[in-house]
Amino acid sequence: MKVCTKSPEKLTLHLYLCAFVFLQAINSLNKYPLPLRNAKEAKILQNFGDGICKILDEKLQRYHRQSGEEQMKNDTILKKKKREYVPQRRSRGYAVLLTLYRHSQIPGSKGFMFKLELQTEAQPLCDKSFAVPDLGSKYTAWSSVSTLIQKNLLIKTHNPARYSLTEGGLALAERLAAAEQQETKVGSGGDEEEEEEGPGVVDLTVSDEGEEEEDRTHPTVGAAGQLSSDVDALCTSEKPQKSQTTSRNPSGGCLLPGTYEIILCVDFIETTGGSHHRKQELVKELQRNGVNFDVRKLNVGDFLWVAREKVAPVPGQLRLPAGRELVLDYIIERKRMDDLCGSIIDGRFREQKFRLKRCGLRRPIYLVEECGTAASHLSLPEATLQQAIINTQVIDGFFVKRVQDVRESAAYLTIMTRFLNKLYQNRTLTCRSRELEGDVSADEDRGIPSSSLISFTEFNHGALKNKCQTVREVFVRQLMQISGLSGDKAAAILEHYSTPHSLMSAYDRCTSEAEKEKLLSTIRYGKLKRNMGPALSRTVYQLYCTLGPLS
Amino acid sequence: MSVLRRATTWEISESESSDVEAKPDLNHSEAVTKTKEAQSSEEKCKTVTATKREFGQTLSTPRPQGSGTPSPGRKRRTKEEIEADRQKAKERKEERERQRAARAQEKEERRQEQLRRREEAENLKSLRPENCLKCLTVRIDPALLQQDGSDVLLDTLATFEWRFSIESQQLSHSITWSRDLPQQGEDGAVSVEEEQVVLVLSVADFMDIVISVRKMLDSEGEETETGSSLSPLLECLNRDAKKVVTLLVTDSELNYRTNACGKPLLDETSQSKLGLKNLDIEEVLVYLQLCKNISLVFLDGWQDVTDHVCALTKALSKRPFKLLTERAELPFCVDGSWASGVRVERDGSGLTEVWSKQIQQLNRVSPAVASAVTASYPSPQLLLQAYQSLASEEERKRLLAGLLVKSGGKERRIGPEISARVYRCFMAQNPQLVLD
Repeated sequence: MKVCTKSPEKLTLHLYLCAFVFLQAINSLNKYPLPLRNAKEAKILQNFGDGICKILDEKLQRYHRQSGEEQMKNDTILKKKKREYVPQRRSRGYAVLLTLYRHSQIPGSKGFMFKLELQTEAQPLCDKSFAVPDLGSKYTAWSSVSTLIQKNLLIKTHNPARYSLTEGGLALAERLAAAEQQETKVGSGGDEEEEEEGPGVVDLTVSDEGEEEEDRTHPTVGAAGQLSSDVDALCTSEKPQKSQTTSRNPSGGCLLPGTYEIILCVDFIETTGGSHHRKQELVKELQRNGVNFDVRKLNVGDFLWVAREKVAPVPGQLRLPAGRELVLDYIIERKRMDDLCGSIIDGRFREQKFRLKRCGLRRPIYLVEECGTAASHLSLPEATLQQAIINTQVIDGFFVKRVQDVRESAAYLTIMTRFLNKLYQNRTLTCRSRELEGDVSADEDRGIPSSSLISFTEFNHGALKNKCQTVREVFVRQLMQISGLSGDKAAAILEHYSTPHSLMSAYDRCTSEAEKEKLLSTIRYGKLKRNMGPALSRTVYQLYCTLGPLS
Repeated sequence: MSVLRRATTWEISESESSDVEAKPDLNHSEAVTKTKEAQSSEEKCKTVTATKREFGQTLSTPRPQGSGTPSPGRKRRTKEEIEADRQKAKERKEERERQRAARAQEKEERRQEQLRRREEAENLKSLRPENCLKCLTVRIDPALLQQDGSDVLLDTLATFEWRFSIESQQLSHSITWSRDLPQQGEDGAVSVEEEQVVLVLSVADFMDIVISVRKMLDSEGEETETGSSLSPLLECLNRDAKKVVTLLVTDSELNYRTNACGKPLLDETSQSKLGLKNLDIEEVLVYLQLCKNISLVFLDGWQDVTDHVCALTKALSKRPFKLLTERAELPFCVDGSWASGVRVERDGSGLTEVWSKQIQQLNRVSPAVASAVTASYPSPQLLLQAYQSLASEEERKRLLAGLLVKSGGKERRIGPEISARVYRCFMAQNPQLVLD
């Protein structure tokens, strides 16, 4: 009760609407005579839906954690030795540690694993799914990995992320591996045949903290169009006949002709917002044209196509099992002329194209809408806009499609979808992993649409805007905060001193102030290998070596 | 000494304006290094002459070997000592030779390096858009110039002073580009043909293409269609798959109504005459895109065509330089608004703002949070000292967590997450460590 009545008080403005719902819940609770231990039990009451139970559990967990922390504090005050963290057998943390350990023991292994790789390999060792969080838990399935990092058992480096064991982690994993050996010896015999693989295909849709933030800011909208259940847990269940290898292999595995369909994916931002109904009109047109499409959150681009496995409903389950999805090489960025103006002026234009070029899809398309707009309405001269469009074609290598209005855009998307379905009618598609295999140049097979495609989840995850930062990346950005220190120069400094610590240590090792001042002056940067010069060297020295406050 | 002189006459081409300040510095520092080198070689000379003098002394005093009894008072030199001296002299001589050879080689290497850099600077300079334009030639098929209104194209090119030539193109009615490369071949300039091709068509010709493609798609057949403008186009692409063709369709005869973009709208008569529907045009366009990478623009006469050709030419002139200087190594686009730096004066004023903006480079750190940090630790050194004064990593991670952030009316704290990230960013030794 105490926890429950807390809820209305903690409401922020945008949850105000939910107040009514909460009050109803409280009413039900008041009427119920028996004590309830957790949210699961409360579910039986009227007005207690999944959402409320989730929040309740959150509060309960936090309460427990806080009191647990109090306990911990008391412990340390009493100087009691902290119990060592040992993950439970077949928990997610356990599976991750064991997987990394086994991987590291393979001769010639690279010493780390990528996220997708790790998830796929760890899944069989774990009873819980890496794709689906525990019911009612605020923590996503990948949170266990964050815990391991916090406890210095795991270390996460590089972008795209690589996971490897620390010394402590290695020691613990060795013990776990030894213990596991014992277990399998004991439990084997007869069990192996029926050994159920854990929940099958790993779906990266739900991922770690970084992405979780993104999801939270975009409420699912019940507007026009079909909304994908994609964003939250996509419960995947394995078809019993499918071989284990195809599902576990992040790279490899294929879709045979006839087993999949090509559907258009529409970024949900294209369907909402704005005071005009223009955006909703696009979706309506697509519906009228009978286009097989799906609205979802795309981290880059406005439209793209996926080859989605056709799946049959599973008896006894309401939700369709999600089939594998591979994304086609075509990605569309739609720009109305006024949008184009705006993005050129505020600098987003270049940044968006930069992200499109790096997303792994090799046929970017620029869909320019409202080409016939009277130039007088726009904030940039028409010649400038035309030049920008042609630059996009010639310099950035995008395909440019010009249309008059939203209806033409819809028509274009419709025809593209139909055509792509035809083109891929008899193709066998194979899954390629960007993580493991890198990118392929766009020059290959110009006319023939590619059959080696990356998975949608890997693509969407890789295109996240505020991805995890590495120390070195942040350092470069920090250096560029000094006027006159361009990307060229910052990159050159980075070659000598790749972290702030490294630079400051170098200053420390200098024997005189003069030496510190000149430390960077002879660094050569750029294609022409020019000298950094004493002036910039001095500025950086002032920044990092001034003992008192800066001015 | 001649080495010094060389430094002052060496020039580098200008690129960014920000380097205007750098230039005198560059020459200065180059001169400085050269002076240093000259000095050290001078010193070497000094040591050599010193050795010589020393040597001379030892030589001049003793008499040659078999000249009779040494005079009294002089130290008797044994055969071994003389031999040893000779050996030393030989070694010193060899050492000098080595040093001389080494210096000569260094000099040669430096000269080569300078030559190389000068050449690279020249290359880079020639790739700059304004210079690249001088290397581009617009090649125009003569058939185009027979069309009414086409003279505006040549006139405009002439006004810009861009090179053009009128010669039969592989594809009739097309325009292509070629660019001279910086290197010289045996017969003069080496040139490369750009992949962009522009084909200027009338609406009638375009409709021909539409009909041909339609037939092809309907019969699900191969590209065996003959006649019409389609086959030469397809042939051209078959020969060189890398070509990027843009169709510029202009309706000089004004036979069709068009939409705002210039796309012809077929009325019923046209539809029955051509056997086409409006949708067919759309479908053909998609086919051309997906299978042939051909794009299309509907234009309104030769002025528009000229504008397009000029814009293409400008884009082509910008491309080599852009591709060369693109920073693919940095995982982010360097053109964002975050990248504009803060101007710092000689006395260091402005650095506070730099420090604050540096903290904001971390994900999800607002200006308010950054100010809170810089208010308590107004320089990197002060933050470093604070971290160093704490014994455990836990304490260091939490150092900033309790700082108050003033944002709006609410009172918030920085929190442990951001505090930990700032710590890791500042103190980590592994550059690849992920912060989030």
